[in-house]
Amino acid sequence: MRLIALLILALFIVAGVVVGALNAGPVSYDLAFFQVTMPKGAGVLLALVIGWLLGGLTAWLGMSLRHRRVLRRTRPSNGKTPARA
Amino acid sequence: MSILYVLVLLVPAAFASGWFAARRAAVHRSGMRVSELSSDYFRGLNYLLNEEQDKAIEVFLKLAEYNRDTVETHLALGNLFRRRGEVDRAIRLHQHLVSRPGLSEAMKTVALLELGEDYMRAGLLDRAEALFSDLVAMNAHAPSALRHLVAIYQHERDWHKAIDHARRLEAMTGDDESPMIAQFYCELAEQARQHGARSEARDYLHQAFECQPDCVRAFMLTGRLHAEAGEHAEAVEAYEAAVGADIAFVPEILPPLLNSYARTGQMERAEHFLRDILARYNGISPVLALTKLYNQRDGERAGIEFLTSQLRQRPSVRGLMALIDATMDKIEGEARENFLILRDLTRKLLEGQAMYRCSRCGFGAKAHHWQCPSCKGWSTIRPIHGVANE
Repeated sequence: MRLIALLILALFIVAGVVVGALNAGPVSYDLAFFQVTMPKGAGVLLALVIGWLLGGLTAWLGMSLRHRRVLRRTRPSNGKTPARA
Repeated sequence: MSILYVLVLLVPAAFASGWFAARRAAVHRSGMRVSELSSDYFRGLNYLLNEEQDKAIEVFLKLAEYNRDTVETHLALGNLFRRRGEVDRAIRLHQHLVSRPGLSEAMKTVALLELGEDYMRAGLLDRAEALFSDLVAMNAHAPSALRHLVAIYQHERDWHKAIDHARRLEAMTGDDESPMIAQFYCELAEQARQHGARSEARDYLHQAFECQPDCVRAFMLTGRLHAEAGEHAEAVEAYEAAVGADIAFVPEILPPLLNSYARTGQMERAEHFLRDILARYNGISPVLALTKLYNQRDGERAGIEFLTSQLRQRPSVRGLMALIDATMDKIEGEARENFLILRDLTRKLLEGQAMYRCSRCGFGAKAHHWQCPSCKGWSTIRPIHGVANE
């Protein structure tokens, strides 16, 4: 399973390098306050990384909030962990 | 196709991928196989509540194996074993918990408390005493440990230590333990009386009264001490005070009280006192005592008349038996034979009856005990009021 995952990862890295080499031309973005110019491949990669990080952050926030809510509900009022089940 | 279209498609895909990855990592890292564990836990709890302890133990054992860090599960399991009487398994489980490295101090003391209870249940009182003393010294779960220590000293009849620890418990929790401490002093007084140390016994009784001014047992013991010393006038005062403190103990108090009345020749005072009790107490004991008194003073006829009039108001097998005994001499022939059968029948009926019952746990007893043999409550055993009893 792990080997297959590694193979797929390698395949994607090769595809990324090839696509990056074929699209080496610069692309510029107008972000209202400033303009950014970068290679097309780097733009795609940056968008992917930012999207991945945002997804992870959202999941983490959602889970930790829910965990805290459950803890608050199950913990006795004096804040001590119940000694016996 | 513009690069922007590519980005519009790729960014949501990356977002979703990041979301799944973070969620999976969090679940894996914190060992939150929440649903699986909780469903097992609640299944076990459900079995426990439905009194299906075998199935509950099976589930909890599996749970403890599955998640070796669940201390609470181990504690619950040990508790279950102890309640089922499998004390050796409970001891092994709690010993394993206590010796487990990395256990928090709070959990370790809970496990020690449980282990002490296991030892108590197994009858290894010295080990339990050592554990509870350590817990008290550490000031961890001290009230529970002190309560167990008091129970151990009561069992060992070490009343001085029991008093000392009960006082510490009282100081720690603020609960009033003085009725129990008064009983401990009464036990000491009783021991001293049996060894002939009357002044020592009186000192203990004095301390019992300081703890509980209306301690019936202390009044009764005072009366007994006076009676044994030939001071029957003082004994009468003490016994009358005992009735005043708790009228429920009349069947216990009346025989020595009547003896002291007779020794001092205060039969009028006795009659007045018994008449007064009769108005306030529903049992048969004062009726029988008054019947005996009228028998001796006014003759058999007056005694029987009083008894029959009282039996109409408060029917009682003991009263009926007294009536049969009193009228037996006057009957002859076939009727006498029938009366003999009736007397045997009532005697057998009374033999099988529990005369006392614990007001706390319902334990039935033929004789009076100051401490209930079942629930160990003090002064909770009282006469049963009914046709076949008091």
